[in-house]
Amino acid sequence: MANPKKIAVVIVAVILVAAVTISFSSYMSEFNNVQNPSQDEFETISLKGVPILGSTTASVTIVEIGDYQCPACKLWFDNTRQDIIENYIDTGKANLVFIDMPFIGTDSVSAAEATYCANDQGMYWDYHVKLYQFQQHENDGWANPDRLTAIAFDLGLDTEKFNECMSLKKYFSQINFNKQKASTDFGAKSTPTFVIINTSGNIDHLVGPHPYSTFEKLLDSML
Amino acid sequence: MNNILGIIYSNPSYILITIGIFFLLFIPLITISEFLFFEPFVVFSIYPETMLSFSLIVTLSFFSAFAISMNIYRVKLIKETRKIGSSIIGTLIGVSAGACSCGPIAFSIITTFGTAGSIASSFLTIYEIPIRLISLGILGFVIFVTIKSLSRECKIKS
Repeated sequence: MANPKKIAVVIVAVILVAAVTISFSSYMSEFNNVQNPSQDEFETISLKGVPILGSTTASVTIVEIGDYQCPACKLWFDNTRQDIIENYIDTGKANLVFIDMPFIGTDSVSAAEATYCANDQGMYWDYHVKLYQFQQHENDGWANPDRLTAIAFDLGLDTEKFNECMSLKKYFSQINFNKQKASTDFGAKSTPTFVIINTSGNIDHLVGPHPYSTFEKLLDSML
Repeated sequence: MNNILGIIYSNPSYILITIGIFFLLFIPLITISEFLFFEPFVVFSIYPETMLSFSLIVTLSFFSAFAISMNIYRVKLIKETRKIGSSIIGTLIGVSAGACSCGPIAFSIITTFGTAGSIASSFLTIYEIPIRLISLGILGFVIFVTIKSLSRECKIKS
């Protein structure tokens, strides 16, 4: 008769292999699930008042889908974003759009709302940058309402207006709309996800904090 | 100790098992942890901030491969399976810390389990390094005990 300990070890080994395989295949299936938005859908996003960084007439648009509490988004922000801005956005070749997909915690939603409240005073991208610069661990309170106000103060925003915007939840529906767009239309299942689209209608997507070299290759092929 | 390792790895099949287990863990782990991308083309990337995490994945995969292959040898020699279970537990603990809190696996957990999933995912991300160190500690202990045990068993057998 088989030794029960041996059976237990075989079961644990099978569970280990299954867990690794499921995790891996779940990760890989992500690539098949990302949908390519049509040009019309992209126009809809533009019309909904999502701020654009760079020239509105640039031939390529990079859509970043992110969460302000996401460490991988910060990794991309710290290591790749600046090179893209210098070489493609400042030169007018491409522009950048950020679509919120806040799912890590409630502070993610508040942070996303805060960027739009800052946008009321013309400082969306400054606030966006500050959030990633100040990012700490997920859900540890670094993006709670008081800290968000402190960031607004630090940027020289009118904090009274900013707090009013936040307390009225003025942009709650905008954030929900962005989240819906990100997951339903773009098929994003993680952050950061990037959708790169050019005026000819060519679309490509990237999942994860890819290095600058990946963007360079893709953007050059789309220009 | 060298003698025991020499005995085990003089058989090429154990070297192959070790290499196989190493890559079976290493490739999925660096993919889940977003060091390796397969789309749109194969890209490998390490940022300065993630160097420690990557080093721990390499060490964890190596320790796991080493511990499991040694214990397969031990099971064949003395028909005792307890330590192979410990090495698998050590590996599982290390693997559980691998998925980033905003990756597809964490996204599935958070969207399925809501706040509880979010807390669990945040915990695994915040304590990724300590969890992997604990895992390495368990595997290191398993390797040490296995070598000691094999030294004793080999002396008795000879």
